[in-house]
Amino acid sequence: MLNDILMALQAVATLENLLIMIAGIWGGVIIGAIPGMTGTMAVTLALPFTFYMDPVPSILMLVALYKGSTYGGSVSAILIKTPGTASAACTALDGYPLAQQGKAGKALNMALYSSVTGDFISNLSLIFLAAPLAILALRVGPPEYFMLMLFALTTVAGVSGNSLLLGLVSAAMGLLLATAGEDIYGSFRFAFTEDMQAGLSVAPVLIGLFALPELIKMIVMRAAPDNETAKLGDQKVSRAEFMRSFKSILRGSSIGVIMGAIPGIGPSAAAFFSYGEAQRSSKNGKNFGKGELEGIAASESANNGACGATMIPLLALGVPGDVITGVMLGAFMIQGLTPGPLLFQTNIHEIYMLFIGMLFSSVLLFGAGKLTMRMFSYVAHIPQTLLTPTVLLLCLFGIYSISSSMFDVTVLLIMGCVGFGMFLLNIPAAPFLIAFILGPMIEDNLRRALAISRGEPGILLSSPITWVFAALIIFVVTLTVRREIHKAKERKGEVA
Amino acid sequence: MKKLITGLTLAATMAAGAAFAADYPEKAVTLVIPYGPGGASDLAGRALSESAKPYLGQPVTVVNKPGAGGMNGARFVTESDADGYTLLLARVGMALTPAVNPQASVDWDAYTFVGALEATPMILAVKSDAPYETVKDLTDAVTESGGRMAYAASGATSIDGFTVQTLLSDAGLDPLTAATLVPYKGGGALATALLGGHVDFLAISAGSLMPHIESGDMKALMVFAPSRMDNLPDVPTASELGYEQAGQVTGWSALYAPKDLPADVVAKWQGVLEQVATDETWLTLAERRGSISTVGSIDMPAYAKAQYELFNGLAKKFGYIPE
Repeated sequence: MLNDILMALQAVATLENLLIMIAGIWGGVIIGAIPGMTGTMAVTLALPFTFYMDPVPSILMLVALYKGSTYGGSVSAILIKTPGTASAACTALDGYPLAQQGKAGKALNMALYSSVTGDFISNLSLIFLAAPLAILALRVGPPEYFMLMLFALTTVAGVSGNSLLLGLVSAAMGLLLATAGEDIYGSFRFAFTEDMQAGLSVAPVLIGLFALPELIKMIVMRAAPDNETAKLGDQKVSRAEFMRSFKSILRGSSIGVIMGAIPGIGPSAAAFFSYGEAQRSSKNGKNFGKGELEGIAASESANNGACGATMIPLLALGVPGDVITGVMLGAFMIQGLTPGPLLFQTNIHEIYMLFIGMLFSSVLLFGAGKLTMRMFSYVAHIPQTLLTPTVLLLCLFGIYSISSSMFDVTVLLIMGCVGFGMFLLNIPAAPFLIAFILGPMIEDNLRRALAISRGEPGILLSSPITWVFAALIIFVVTLTVRREIHKAKERKGEVA
Repeated sequence: MKKLITGLTLAATMAAGAAFAADYPEKAVTLVIPYGPGGASDLAGRALSESAKPYLGQPVTVVNKPGAGGMNGARFVTESDADGYTLLLARVGMALTPAVNPQASVDWDAYTFVGALEATPMILAVKSDAPYETVKDLTDAVTESGGRMAYAASGATSIDGFTVQTLLSDAGLDPLTAATLVPYKGGGALATALLGGHVDFLAISAGSLMPHIESGDMKALMVFAPSRMDNLPDVPTASELGYEQAGQVTGWSALYAPKDLPADVVAKWQGVLEQVATDETWLTLAERRGSISTVGSIDMPAYAKAQYELFNGLAKKFGYIPE
């Protein structure tokens, strides 16, 4: 076995492979950092190139793009409050306040360290725990899936800011909007036009909700441009600061790995889940949303922690969990490799090469992140009057380019107005997005579970996994309600 | 004089037309795939794009426009200019969706049928530890269960829903209530549902199931295809087992274009497809996807019509649309 690994190391550690991975990671980081361009887009666009490459480098390139873009989303989330990818939405909650306090460099470094740690742990899990995690993932059927996602939705309580009520309003609107389009049985809801039949995609809703309101604010309210924001400064994350968040990074990485291993969940839900968990259990929970480094750590470790782990169901079972691993499955097949248990017997050499390459890519991610940070620091020197229209243009072109659809651009603009209205009414945007992304998973799995049980709700509490999550949901809801009552009493006390 | 001008104009127009034919294609051709990336249709489209490029002399750019059972992408293509620069990777859904949904936005014949590409067999599978060895075992169990057994499909009126329903109907059962449909999106999710034991059986495209059948996690009971699959020589087809309606259900891909595509563009593409038919890349990629190349061997307009009528008849019989 050692011999096999050494041979694989020799085969993978070539200049060509390294260059391919560097290009993939760095390209991914930049695409992820540009609002409106997504990792899915990067991976899909790169697929045709793999037709001319060897199997292992082509998969490594796609994985590198995926990891890079998942990290890259945090750069724009911190610097311009616009998550480049949906999975960085929670990063913006703490990253942007930090940037406003002139600590953008610190926030970016924290995001990078947690992403790389999460990524590394994810790779190790893929290498050593693929088989047991895959078996666990298979046991997650519709009822378990439903309970798990319902629990993830309780994150809403944490990201609601000052008013839980307004947070719930925001989440309810997100859930409602998520029902637009065709449901799993093929009936249409809110399908007023033919475009609406396909429902709304995440990217235009995300960018519309987060980026546009900032731009409208600058135009309508003539908000003073604060050039402090994008200055990086020489702000390192101290050892003490990193250690303080270390628990959240480890927990975030584990959440990322487990959620990533379950087909169909992906980095976004993992990041929301981890952010909510960190906020509940951390000593610094009260500072979350005001510029807490630990919040960034929780969100970023989980989304990158999920990346490598999405390869677990793909490699161990041969089932793709999301669009990106779907494209990777396509790449495998085109190369004549069939992912699944047999691959570990027939192509163990390629598997070892892939694993070693993925470990390399964690290191490369660190380098690419450092370089990109410095590049983006030049953004600071661009005056707001130029930066704002440029970001708007990038958003418009990015959204249009995803599926060359003017409908997506319309969604983007309408969601921008909705987001601005929500800002005026003090309704937080994060619960909206979280509910919008989790909504379909919750609904689809509830309906599947009830179809299997022929309408018998008992199926939702039919296995140990569902019991655990039901207990957690009750616990969190009780805790939140008690905290709210406490807050209400305090307010009464102040008035009296 | 007037006649002369008319004549000249006419000649000029014709010359322009001829020039157009000789020049096509002057730029990259866009191939719209009406489903998401990574699936069987996406792979077929990308394989065609790669294999056609050298014969066409221009690149073929692939664009995914998923949504509304493939109707989103189909509508985009039918509304594009019929200049040969926007083509559609058509799937069985292009005939099936309008057949089962009178409100579908694009009718089955709203296209120029350029040519057939491939047949993609569907497989009826159960988990390997299930106590069913033959289709008869399975249908007997379904009969006994009184509707409790569940199967995964993309939807009631999708192609992988019809595979199971025609089988149930052929076996003398009620196609809608004899077994419970659990909807999932995409081949990967469908296969996972069976692997995890969350449903009892399914009949979906071979590409998504072959890895699991080869690894021994699933058992193939029957194939929905005109002939047995090379990789599964011992598994009978639906027709062999005497299932008449199920025997006509199978998956396929074809190349469509907007209506009234100029004849010379059609001819150019048919020439390209003729060369693709024997192209090494195309054939190997088709084999790896688990599909059978049908380039040049099927009369596409007639086949599309037959498919539309088949599913329209089934939809009426099963009560999805009024007779």
